[in-house]
Amino acid sequence: MARLLVIEDNERLGALIAEGLAGRGYRSDVACCLADADAALAVASFDAIVLDLGLPDGDGLDWLRARQPAGEPPALILTARGGLEDRIKGLDAGADDYLVKPFSVEELAARLRALLRRPGRRAEPVLKVGPIRYDTASRSASVHDRSLDLARREADLLELLLRRAGQVVRRRTIEDALYRFDEAVTPNALEAIVSRLRRKLDDAGTVGQLHTVRGVGYLLRDVGTD
Amino acid sequence: MNGQVSIQGRLMRSLTIVSLVGALLLLLFIGIEYRISFAELSDGAALQVVIHELTEHVVIPMILLAIPMAVAARWAIRRAVEPLELAAQKIDAARGEARGVRIDALSLPLEAQPFARAVNSLLERVDDAAALHEAFAADIAHELRTPLTLLSLELDRLDGAHAAQLRMDVAAMRRLIDQLMLLAQIDAEQAAHLPPTSVDLIEVAGDVLAQLAPAALAGGRMLELRGEGHSFILARREAVAAALRNLIENALRVTPLGIPVVVLADQPGQLAVRDGGAGLSSERLDILVQRLRRADYASTNGAGLGLAIVARIMAAHGGRLVTDPDKRELRLIFPNV
Repeated sequence: MARLLVIEDNERLGALIAEGLAGRGYRSDVACCLADADAALAVASFDAIVLDLGLPDGDGLDWLRARQPAGEPPALILTARGGLEDRIKGLDAGADDYLVKPFSVEELAARLRALLRRPGRRAEPVLKVGPIRYDTASRSASVHDRSLDLARREADLLELLLRRAGQVVRRRTIEDALYRFDEAVTPNALEAIVSRLRRKLDDAGTVGQLHTVRGVGYLLRDVGTD
Repeated sequence: MNGQVSIQGRLMRSLTIVSLVGALLLLLFIGIEYRISFAELSDGAALQVVIHELTEHVVIPMILLAIPMAVAARWAIRRAVEPLELAAQKIDAARGEARGVRIDALSLPLEAQPFARAVNSLLERVDDAAALHEAFAADIAHELRTPLTLLSLELDRLDGAHAAQLRMDVAAMRRLIDQLMLLAQIDAEQAAHLPPTSVDLIEVAGDVLAQLAPAALAGGRMLELRGEGHSFILARREAVAAALRNLIENALRVTPLGIPVVVLADQPGQLAVRDGGAGLSSERLDILVQRLRRADYASTNGAGLGLAIVARIMAAHGGRLVTDPDKRELRLIFPNV
């Protein structure tokens, strides 16, 4: 069970977030201010931080910027600041994701799942999305516990899509990950890999999880882990 | 006296009166000086001489003096009034929500400067009032976010059809808050004259589609981007993204399931969104865009504000929003760089 530190000065909101996330498999400690958060981080280890920005003893963004070691554990900003540039400022300060209030617990849980799937020190070796499992060490995949026979680039593509499940992964990002920079990529090559992977996934029992957003990229629907 | 009198008219009238009085006094003076009696005037030959003398020494000099004076007066007045006309044109030319319009008081004649300063201070108060009004709307929107979050999270604990309906209501309120804050921000950015940056339209379109696609797919709707060429404009990137996002969200709402919403980056400096709805006539678009100017926020939800916000973003960029009902297409046209 992943452990979270929720930094939120509104007591009721903090409790509701913790309760909602508990129902989705996260254990949360709630800190009401930055001093509390520092104390909690000093004595326990967390998988991710959920951070409100306007706190009684300081600004969350400044705290995030000054954090050492930077980026560890990953942080998700939860804020009422919904301006056009605010998201960019938050990500620049070292946040891994940004969610504007109001939000639903479902949204928050999906973002946290994506956050914890990112590669990093704490990343789990096995990626799980719905019935799909992928072991990043042995580079082997299975659906409903039946193993898939994937070519190298199909496996690379699946790992990339699993890590960003629920989000659109842009074509260029995929091409950069799958091919060396000196390899020429024909426009159809990627589509061929995607359609082979989609067929293998569907044959193994997933139901239309791999989507194409034509002209933009590909997306593996995040159906949650069960 | 009713009716409007120009400065020029008054001056001409004064000059005429001064000329007539002057001529009369001169005649009187000459009469006394030369002891011209009425008896002499009855003599035809003497009258000839008197008329000749008077014409030569009174009427001609008066006319010679009056004509250049009238011309000079007209010229001086026109010169003095010209800056006032220019200032009036400048105020008239300020369209819609333009801020910071001021008269250059120093370019006006001294006599008009107190009036110009009074107009400027009035314009400033109008700007301040508008800014305050918007800041107030943004503040309220901001303050509503936390209670709405509490409401949304409490609803997550409930089951049943009622909870689902309430969740949709919360989502609608959230959209309205987002739109109000977006609007306040566009105006604030415009007032702050932030420098635009070089923005690649197809890259912005890709980003916006990537953001919207997961929710669209979850609702069974498809998005598509067509067009490969890079097209750079000078703009505020996040504002352009917000305009496109609004168009796509509108399009998703009117498009039946199974038909994709297509974003076209087909022409330089333009983005279009093609949907599967009934198409929007220019007249209807005008009505929707006018919503903001009439400021009837109360009668609309966040969805209704969308197109008005898009139009305002486009105006702030010197571009425009046009509709093509036959192609079921709304198009953002940015000015050429």
